[in-house]
Amino acid sequence: MFKSLESVIALYGIMKAGCAYVPLDPNAPEDRLKRIVAECRLSGLAIHPATAKRANLFAQGEGSLAVFGAEAEFWETLGARDANVVSLPTPSPTDLAYIMFTSGSTGTPKGIQHTHHSGLAYARMAASLYGLTPDDRLGNHSPFHFDMSTFEVFAGPVAGACSVLIPEAHARLPASLSQLVEAEKLTVWYSVPFAISQLVDHGALAQRNISALRWVIFGGEPIQTRYLRALAKHAPRARFSNSYGPAEVNQCTYFHASAQDIELLEKLPLGGPCPHAELKLVDHDGQDADRGELLVKTEAMMRGYWGSAQADGEVFCEERSGRWYRTGDLVERQPGGELVFLGRLDRQVKLRGHRIELEEVEAVLSELNGVVDACAAVRADQATLCAFVQIEDGDGPSAQSLRAYAGKHLPRYACPSEYIFTDTFPRTASGKIDRAALAKTLEAPCP
Amino acid sequence: MNPQIGDFITQTLLGGAEVEDTEDLLLSGQIDSLGVMRLVAFIEQTLSITVPPEDVVIEHFQSLAAIEAYLETRTMR
Repeated sequence: MFKSLESVIALYGIMKAGCAYVPLDPNAPEDRLKRIVAECRLSGLAIHPATAKRANLFAQGEGSLAVFGAEAEFWETLGARDANVVSLPTPSPTDLAYIMFTSGSTGTPKGIQHTHHSGLAYARMAASLYGLTPDDRLGNHSPFHFDMSTFEVFAGPVAGACSVLIPEAHARLPASLSQLVEAEKLTVWYSVPFAISQLVDHGALAQRNISALRWVIFGGEPIQTRYLRALAKHAPRARFSNSYGPAEVNQCTYFHASAQDIELLEKLPLGGPCPHAELKLVDHDGQDADRGELLVKTEAMMRGYWGSAQADGEVFCEERSGRWYRTGDLVERQPGGELVFLGRLDRQVKLRGHRIELEEVEAVLSELNGVVDACAAVRADQATLCAFVQIEDGDGPSAQSLRAYAGKHLPRYACPSEYIFTDTFPRTASGKIDRAALAKTLEAPCP
Repeated sequence: MNPQIGDFITQTLLGGAEVEDTEDLLLSGQIDSLGVMRLVAFIEQTLSITVPPEDVVIEHFQSLAAIEAYLETRTMR
């Protein structure tokens, strides 16, 4: 479902019925959606009449899938139904509330399972951290299949605030987006940095009044503070907050940036722990350190990955003090106690806030006949994804067929925009592809 | 519609996909925010006009028909 009032009704209805919701990206390739439907053994599909044609076609191939909402009448008559005729189960805090799928390094998307307890723990913490009140109007920029959406979907209602759904088209046109921020008198903004940079660069802010904003919160990847300096001129009351936390644990650190921070710093620190989270840094040997992998312990932690005990084993660290989640993020503690993000310990990258495992891109490309090996890398200056591909002599796929295959199996944001064919890969002493050397070749600007 | 601009949308941005004149190009994500920026740059270059940021709104860019109507207002001036 695209964003609509109906989609929120569906989310809450599914949970009220004692089921878990699995938000599907209507723009995701069909094969990827099918994989998720099969893997989760989904029993029902809630759809919007606007996308009924495609959804019905899709559901036809999935025998046991019941489809709701294809007719406009279904939604129009919902309010007239007597809610008392059905007895609703009372979910236990440990029951599953939702599963969000994210990039998985094996080539199969990973389902992050959150319970009513973990989802609510995050919502209550966020509502309190940002002092949300019934007077607030939250702009929901993130699509529902993206974990950041739980801020407006759960934390807003917990505080009695109003959440304003931002339609997909507005999210793509900054000048329309800024119109909406003004017309809806949004007081709280939460998005990936890319959306903020778009608002500043193309949002025609000089002609808009966005002065009702009191919080501008961003997360998903580092932001350049010059965008905040520019935004502050149009939103003089706004405070700025850097939010950090993988979808597995929800937001677990925050840094409220002062006017001085925005003026003096190029990048903002991750800050310190949210009230419901404990953090620690460990070195290679698992010993506490001031520079190392960030581990998180919080009530807002996922129950585990859907159907993958092996993936759970890789990220959970069981100790006497309880269960910790390994973020895979390399972090340093500054003398003042603030945490600073240094990079990833694995090959996960963020492009415009989207989390991508480069291994997943490579695994998908390597499935195609005639591909010997593939290596994905980010062209940093343009924030685009490139794929180096080695094909069989005289019998390999063209860039066009690689592009088509990726388009069928990967979300749009994870499809390489450039294919570079190579006869051989540089190798490290141990025979692995020398990714650092390949990445270096991308440093020269695009011709 | 200026044929060069029509081609740019259908071939370069939509990869040759067939679309109706009134089909919503933004909702379905067929054109994302970077696509819109590329289109604006192409229009400016091809027609030698400036498209101010406040003009890049849904009403003008939602569909092929909307883009055509907007370009007409711009080239008649």
